[in-house]
Amino acid sequence: MKSILMGAAALALMAGAVHAESPTASKRIALSNNYAGNSWRQAMLKTYEETAQAAVADGVVAAADAFTTSENQTTEQAAQIQNMILQGYDAILLNAASPTALNGAVKEACDAGVKVISFDSIVTEPCAWRIAVDFVEMGRQEVEYVASRLPEGGNLLEIRGLAGVSTDDAISKGIHEAIDTKYPQFKIVGSVHGDWAQDVAQKAVAGILPSLPDVVGVVTQGGDGYGAAEAFAAAGRPTPLIVMGNRQDELKWWAEQRDANGYETMSLSIAPGVASLAFWVGQQILAGEDVPKDLTVPFLTITQADLDEALKTTPEGSVSNVSYTLEDAQAVIAGAK
Amino acid sequence: MTMKPWVWAWAAAALAFSATLLLTSGRGAGELAYAALSFGAFAAIVGLGQMLVITLGPGNVDLSIPACMTLAGTLALKTMGTEPGTAFVGVAVALATGLAVGCANFVLIWLLRLPPIIATLAASLVYQSVAIWSNRGLRIKPPEGLANFATGRFIGVPNVAWIALGLAVVVWLLLERSVWGRWLLASGQNARAARLAGIPVQAVRAATYLSVSVFAALAGYLLASFSGGAALNMGTEYLLMSIAVVVIGGSSIAGGNSNVPGVLGAALFMFLVVSMLNSYGAGAGIKSVLTGTIIIAIVIAASTRRSRQ
Repeated sequence: MKSILMGAAALALMAGAVHAESPTASKRIALSNNYAGNSWRQAMLKTYEETAQAAVADGVVAAADAFTTSENQTTEQAAQIQNMILQGYDAILLNAASPTALNGAVKEACDAGVKVISFDSIVTEPCAWRIAVDFVEMGRQEVEYVASRLPEGGNLLEIRGLAGVSTDDAISKGIHEAIDTKYPQFKIVGSVHGDWAQDVAQKAVAGILPSLPDVVGVVTQGGDGYGAAEAFAAAGRPTPLIVMGNRQDELKWWAEQRDANGYETMSLSIAPGVASLAFWVGQQILAGEDVPKDLTVPFLTITQADLDEALKTTPEGSVSNVSYTLEDAQAVIAGAK
Repeated sequence: MTMKPWVWAWAAAALAFSATLLLTSGRGAGELAYAALSFGAFAAIVGLGQMLVITLGPGNVDLSIPACMTLAGTLALKTMGTEPGTAFVGVAVALATGLAVGCANFVLIWLLRLPPIIATLAASLVYQSVAIWSNRGLRIKPPEGLANFATGRFIGVPNVAWIALGLAVVVWLLLERSVWGRWLLASGQNARAARLAGIPVQAVRAATYLSVSVFAALAGYLLASFSGGAALNMGTEYLLMSIAVVVIGGSSIAGGNSNVPGVLGAALFMFLVVSMLNSYGAGAGIKSVLTGTIIIAIVIAASTRRSRQ
């Protein structure tokens, strides 16, 4: 189904085969992105660029430009959306700075006949499409994995993301729900905010570790597993079971530990390639397909068996990725109907 | 004997330390002290730089510290490219980046006469973009020897803490024992009077803006080596942190009065207070409210003391 980032050439071939005469050849798509300051967003922009360039070269669409706001602010992004309406784009793909604050601008776009497809950080405005990840399920799956590895239970440390962001609340909710309802043998003895960054997580974990009893597992949100491992090592504590988040440094650390002492864990996160999925969903909407407003994108899970393959395909210092194709988008749309 | 304003920062740090250990009935004291010294070191280094700038007087502040840290860390680690034995090349690249950033900041402030807040904030967008453009957010690991040095310790104290302490001693000597320090304080207290007294005020300002960027670049280099690579958002929390440690440390926000020991105590405190609140299981909201309240309390305590002197 999914081809792991095989490059623009492969994509171009596939897209070209499907779209001999594209119904959207005259349509223009814009990406409105609120933030570019971390490796995940950089990978997202790169995947989008590759997908968009190939699609434009094949004549699937007339244009597919990417725009990023400089300050991650809702006012700036609202103005950006208004500019896109004036410039006559047919569809706007939106990674939003706020779930609610952009609703006015999104409504203006809808009223002007522009299709708005929000993804990753979605908006609540009903006229927009939403490509969301089931983050609650992600938290739940982490606990299920930990429980399958450590059936006798024990103390867990939770590393959360950026306080106040809906993603952080959703993953944490899934983790706590799973423990409260199904796995009472686990107890969360500490919870810190790691802001999805290795250095912040390392600092927060180093600060709380001295006051914690023995910890058997660490549930995370991605981008924080390596920092947690470093903090445990610096404190001279045994390395617990740390759920990873698909970053290359996390995978590399995991592989080194596996080779040294048979360390086992799992890794899961949302793939930055979701921007390419949003592109194809937008293209399908413009082509006149009947697309439900709420779509769900699966998250990308790496198990012990896939580790070497994932490490090979993940660029040094980046994050594991998949580039979604038109067929993937059609499957997601069909699944939501 | 008058109470020095820096006593409050150290007292608060000691309180937060004891409160955390109360929870564990004394267990983990060494671990917590080690973590506080390691992470406090980065805040102390950027705080010392920010202190010098704030000492220059009202309106002087450097908001490009996070971007400078990110840019220096990114360029240095990219140059080293995990090759062993390149640590000194890396440090040279980082310091050169800091010098370049400092020059650019001062040119904007001096030639274009932009207020420092605007100049450094606007320029930081450029530095951040250069960092993104130069490596697209990929994390390159530091050479192993350098990583071991950054996370290592000497006589039980983290190496990064020794570096911060060394810098603090140098800054303290410069401020208290050199002509340049007197010039800086005089410029901060009254720039016009200082100019009329024949002090090269612009040269003092230039040297100060260069110093803060070089300090930030060094902190970025050490932090990137310490935490396994430079990340695009690695400097974010050090913007407010650098200003907070200056104010909590008892330096006057209006300038003309700096306090080196206070910055060190405040840097330890900023780490310990978050650790304490985490250890007591405070949620994110309560944590922010309490941190803010405690900071305000310390600043009030430190400033009322000073006015009674």
